[in-house]
Amino acid sequence: MGTFHDNKSALHGITVVVDTKGPKVYVGRCDDEDQEKVILVDADIHEDGANGKTKADYVKRAAKFGVWKKYDHLVIPRADVLSITRLGDVHEITVKAEAAKPAPAPVVEAPVSKAAAVNGDKPIVALSEGAQVEVKRLIVEQGDKPGVGLRLGVKGGGCSGFSYKLEFDAKKDGDLVVPYELFNVYLDRKSTVYLRGITLDFQQGLSGKGFVFNNPNATNTCGCGESFSV
Amino acid sequence: MPYPEALVAPMRAELTSAGVKELKTATEVDTFMADKTGTSMIIVNSVCGCAAGGARPGVKLSLQNGKKPARVATVFAGQDTEAVAKARSYFADIPPSSPCVAVFKDGELVHFTPRHMIEGRDPRTIAAELVKAFDENC
Repeated sequence: MGTFHDNKSALHGITVVVDTKGPKVYVGRCDDEDQEKVILVDADIHEDGANGKTKADYVKRAAKFGVWKKYDHLVIPRADVLSITRLGDVHEITVKAEAAKPAPAPVVEAPVSKAAAVNGDKPIVALSEGAQVEVKRLIVEQGDKPGVGLRLGVKGGGCSGFSYKLEFDAKKDGDLVVPYELFNVYLDRKSTVYLRGITLDFQQGLSGKGFVFNNPNATNTCGCGESFSV
Repeated sequence: MPYPEALVAPMRAELTSAGVKELKTATEVDTFMADKTGTSMIIVNSVCGCAAGGARPGVKLSLQNGKKPARVATVFAGQDTEAVAKARSYFADIPPSSPCVAVFKDGELVHFTPRHMIEGRDPRTIAAELVKAFDENC
């Protein structure tokens, strides 16, 4: 489909991924391109390995959500360019590839309370029986104050891009509430998009890891399991 | 700087004539989003060709689906800037782009079509993605 300006290239106005022969990858709206250069506006640059993300990790996330503009205008020498791909096409390729993946072998997980499923829908977040018992134990240990529940969230940072937030807190305006038999789980709405579908387990004992997040949205997880990327 | 209102009026009307509620202030956005029951949708409209050739007709096509959000509203990027900023505050930590479409269920963002999934695409393709989200969530 055309981009409404006859004197520009076919990619004018289209958000593209410009991969290079070196460590950098660019994402931005193509203003123009010819044999000498590619011009992007409202662009971002990622260097392979920065913030623990490979070029592929970065592009995959960009394909899902877009990028934060860091540069108004970038000129990339054509000699450096390895490929130019429409960002929208990257998203479609990623979605189709994930749909084509064979179903994973069933994993035996810690039993999850039926309270986590609401009206038969997939729970937003699920806590194993062990996690629920441990959370309630800790709430009691801290004085079992009325209205205090478990807050789950995400924050930027950590070796893989995002870190989980796990704390005891009261409900705040706008929170999503997931009720359990012994306490409530609170999620702020911005974190919910990253946490939908996770299971929180608790592994005790000398070799146990304590609270463990199993996040189907994460594309990468650091070794300790506390940081992830999408 | 906003475009003259006379120029954007038809772009607004293309959606409002299809029953989409226009939100022009931050307060109107908050009021719209305060109702967290069921499904809702916000379209960030814009003056660009992608909105004219893709987003607006695509949204209108999608709203012909049997299942669709109970409440549909629009804000106009570049024109009603406070309303747009307030709407984007409900879109989680997603980079701003326009046009774009956000679908909510029980107050939670369940689908987002960013600009790069609209630009260069025909209305039927855009509508099909929205209809898929409607069928899954509404």
